[in-house]
Amino acid sequence: MIGYVVRRLLSISVTFIVVSILVFIMMHAIPGGPFDATEMPVSEAVRAKIMAQYGLDQPLYVQYLKYMWGVLHFDFGVPFQSPGETVIELLSRAWVPSLVLGGAGVLIGAPLGIALGLYAALNRNSWIDYLASAVATLGLTVPVFVTSMLLILVFAVWLGWLPASGWGSPRNWILPIVAYAAIPLATYARYTRSAMLDTLNKPFVTVLRAKGLSERDVIFKHVLRNSAIPMVTVFLPMFIGTATGSIFVEAMFRVPGLGAYFVSSIESRDYPLEMALVFIITLMFCIAYFLADIAYAMLNPRIRLGGR
Amino acid sequence: MADVAPVLTIEASHKSRGAAYYAWHRFLANKGAVFAGVLLLLILLVAVFAPFLTGVGPNEQKYLTSALAFPSAEHWFGIDDLGRDYFTRIIHGARVSISIGLAAASFSVLIGLPLGAIAGYFGGTIDWFIMRIIEIFSVVPPLLAALLLAALTKGGYFNIVLIAALFGWVQVCLMVRAQVMAFRNKEFIRAAQALGGSTWYIILRHIIPNSISPIIVGFVLAIPLAMMLEAGLSFLGVGIPPPTPSWGQMINLGINFMFFYWHLALFPTLALAITVLVVTMFGDGLRDALDPTLKGR
Repeated sequence: MIGYVVRRLLSISVTFIVVSILVFIMMHAIPGGPFDATEMPVSEAVRAKIMAQYGLDQPLYVQYLKYMWGVLHFDFGVPFQSPGETVIELLSRAWVPSLVLGGAGVLIGAPLGIALGLYAALNRNSWIDYLASAVATLGLTVPVFVTSMLLILVFAVWLGWLPASGWGSPRNWILPIVAYAAIPLATYARYTRSAMLDTLNKPFVTVLRAKGLSERDVIFKHVLRNSAIPMVTVFLPMFIGTATGSIFVEAMFRVPGLGAYFVSSIESRDYPLEMALVFIITLMFCIAYFLADIAYAMLNPRIRLGGR
Repeated sequence: MADVAPVLTIEASHKSRGAAYYAWHRFLANKGAVFAGVLLLLILLVAVFAPFLTGVGPNEQKYLTSALAFPSAEHWFGIDDLGRDYFTRIIHGARVSISIGLAAASFSVLIGLPLGAIAGYFGGTIDWFIMRIIEIFSVVPPLLAALLLAALTKGGYFNIVLIAALFGWVQVCLMVRAQVMAFRNKEFIRAAQALGGSTWYIILRHIIPNSISPIIVGFVLAIPLAMMLEAGLSFLGVGIPPPTPSWGQMINLGINFMFFYWHLALFPTLALAITVLVVTMFGDGLRDALDPTLKGR
């Protein structure tokens, strides 16, 4: 097991470094920058001074190494769009709305999705089974900003029950949380249902029933436990979907979170903020990926003993 | 003469059915997929014949005097803020959305098929290398990276197609790879090798024809992903630049007007939701029909 963990850790670290180099090259390779003549009409000497101040005049690999050295000290530089604070200060403000809304969305959506999938699998071809399939298909195919738009139109514009945008009071949070919850709800409804159905059809379940075990014990002690693996595997895509969705949810509901800053940093070519966000998000995904692998290996000995 | 005919009829009724026949019947048994397929055909027809369906072009500001008018018998989806018929723009948006979906899916297959076939057939170092590339793609969230790339390349039709393909090939590659690995050690491949068939001959004549199901499925499932990507990027303003009509772009416009002119927000949202849903349901049905073993992969 320890060998497997170390192997995965090494593999993930290499992937992370490769991604960081790729992003760094990509960001600098494409022409156009925040201090171009069109963006900032100043004399050559002044531009050279600004470029030197931000270290943009050095060779790319020096910039990369310097940057990585800073990252190791939690120094992501100063965002161009608000030079009064550091990137870390700005982000420590921005992650709160994203975490509150996204976290609440997952905490509400995932259990609800599991319950829906469970109930659907146990009552095949009932109306709740069709409801679960419909919810899963809609939630997994329709983009988040479409769901958000429909929520706003119905509950804010036509019914007028809730505010359409903003981040002031908890009343503002309800619609974005529902929009966020759609992703884990749909993901877990679909995969819980199919994992449960897979397990229910296995011979050992028939044996348990033949033995005279109560249906409650069969489901909760045996079937549910044996269906856990796909649910762990699906955590990663669900997490990615929710994190990516935050860009659209925040753009739609005008929430000042990480997603909103990601978009504004891209629009204004704000390298330090953009790099920091891409780094943090990639790191988050690497960790999620790693944890999913470990959880998978713990639940399924074939993976860790098979030696990948 | 008379006793020949019955023999012929018996042979006809015992005609061996091809795989396509059974796939077609499995598909027909799936009511949802058939319904989606019919609706998709309708959307495709509307998209293809869009220029002939309404009297105006998508960018003609012919109704400036009645800008922002609500839906009416004359203008089914109303008029937008610049005096353009909104129905015309929506159906031209279908052309953009669907053509990007098809083009990106084609490029995805073009990249994913050879890489998947090579990785699956040769295994070993090549497979390890390709799988590491795929691992990089699975750690980077496609939408974020696509957003970054689109912003850096300033968007545009062709760039969006390439970006969508860049993130669409992985699934095709994995499906083809799995299929090829399953076939690599089958007897007919062994026989072809023993008879002296060259590697490329075996890949082109035996491996790829036997991977046709995952290729079709991968192609169809890549379409809605590319459509969603285009809509998302256009929604954030880095996709298809105006005035070319794109649903994502129209939804973004709709937010600004939604409290007073809800039709500008509603129609592109519904168009996008229905089209993506229909393509996905059709693709899922096709997957289940072509190869039941692929289900849920």
